[in-house]
Amino acid sequence: MATALASSGPLSLDGPVHLGRRIAALIPGLLLLAAVGYAGKFIEQSISGYTKAHHLIFPNIEYVLWAIVLGLVISNTVGLPRVFQAGVATYEFWLKAGIVLLGSRFLLGDILHLGGISLLLVAVALTLSLSFMHLLGRSFHLKPKLTSLLAVGSAICGVSAIIAAKPAIEADDEDASYAIAAILALGAISLFTFPLIGHSLHLSDKAYGLWAGLAVDNTAEATAAGALYSDASGKIAVLAKTTRNALIGFVVLAYAIYWASRGEAHAVGNKAAFLWRKFPKFVLGFLLISLLATLGFFAKPQLTSLANLSRWSFLLTFAGVGLRTSFRELGKQGWRPFVVGAIGEVFIALVTLGLVYGADRFLHL
Amino acid sequence: MPETTASKPRRGLSLDIYAVALALVLALLVRFNLIPAIKW
Repeated sequence: MATALASSGPLSLDGPVHLGRRIAALIPGLLLLAAVGYAGKFIEQSISGYTKAHHLIFPNIEYVLWAIVLGLVISNTVGLPRVFQAGVATYEFWLKAGIVLLGSRFLLGDILHLGGISLLLVAVALTLSLSFMHLLGRSFHLKPKLTSLLAVGSAICGVSAIIAAKPAIEADDEDASYAIAAILALGAISLFTFPLIGHSLHLSDKAYGLWAGLAVDNTAEATAAGALYSDASGKIAVLAKTTRNALIGFVVLAYAIYWASRGEAHAVGNKAAFLWRKFPKFVLGFLLISLLATLGFFAKPQLTSLANLSRWSFLLTFAGVGLRTSFRELGKQGWRPFVVGAIGEVFIALVTLGLVYGADRFLHL
Repeated sequence: MPETTASKPRRGLSLDIYAVALALVLALLVRFNLIPAIKW
């Protein structure tokens, strides 16, 4: 679904009539996203209100988890009828708009400080995880291009990295769908495991957010995994993940050059143009809003409004994460890419956890 | 292998550009108080 949205783009401009028809086709799915997301928020508030009124001790389960679980229940029981699919696929659009708006909650100095630390950690984690994934792929006799896609997906940024790398290394559709399925399944698992591990290790909001942003692959899942821990860690997770996303072009370019040197992909022409095409442009929007906030362009109540707009945008994203995850579809893809992905993910999670511990100690997060 | 750009150009603008445009429009509407305060 994300693939369809990113590649064909239901929002691309073909003409006013087509655009109108495409927007109309999005409405049922958008309403479903809003209903599921709002239901998640309503359940959290109702439980919290009830337990407070009756003086009960009950752990607060964030709306993020409710929205994801409700979405999962719908997509894995009644399924998602075709009429809703186009609108639900826009969850990635809301994620990006939410990230840009979240820029208002960061001063540019904080971005440079934490982004700099993230960049350093990403570079170390990237080198280790790419090498490890290739070693694993060879041990499990996966096709080399499938291994490349899994490595890019798990080391950089999940589905978008796989979509960006697929044409560049001329991998086939089957490999891409295997790699995407494995990354999505592992992302779903990380939503439930990461907050538990974070709490059991008593990680600070900053350390946990950094860890989630560095280790969870897909941007939507990384944002959700961060927000499940706390609001502050959700913010840090988005920043760390955005830093990772910014590197997508460089890694994909390196793979494109590697496969071209082996005669199994076309050579890359203009490298600067290639990098610009693969660069996630929403990162620039995020930096721009943060710059405006740093320069005092917005008053304090306006910053609160922007932060709330970002939350509403993420609410639609989290509903979409649940609604687009079909365990039946994921199960069809076979176990080997999943096992390689899972072992790789555990490795990356451990390496990044060690790096975050080290950074917390020596670089003062 | 012939030298080409490694991926096919996409029709229309990318999703990112629309997301950035929407966020910037919302930010301006908030900045100039053209929409009421957003509550959570």
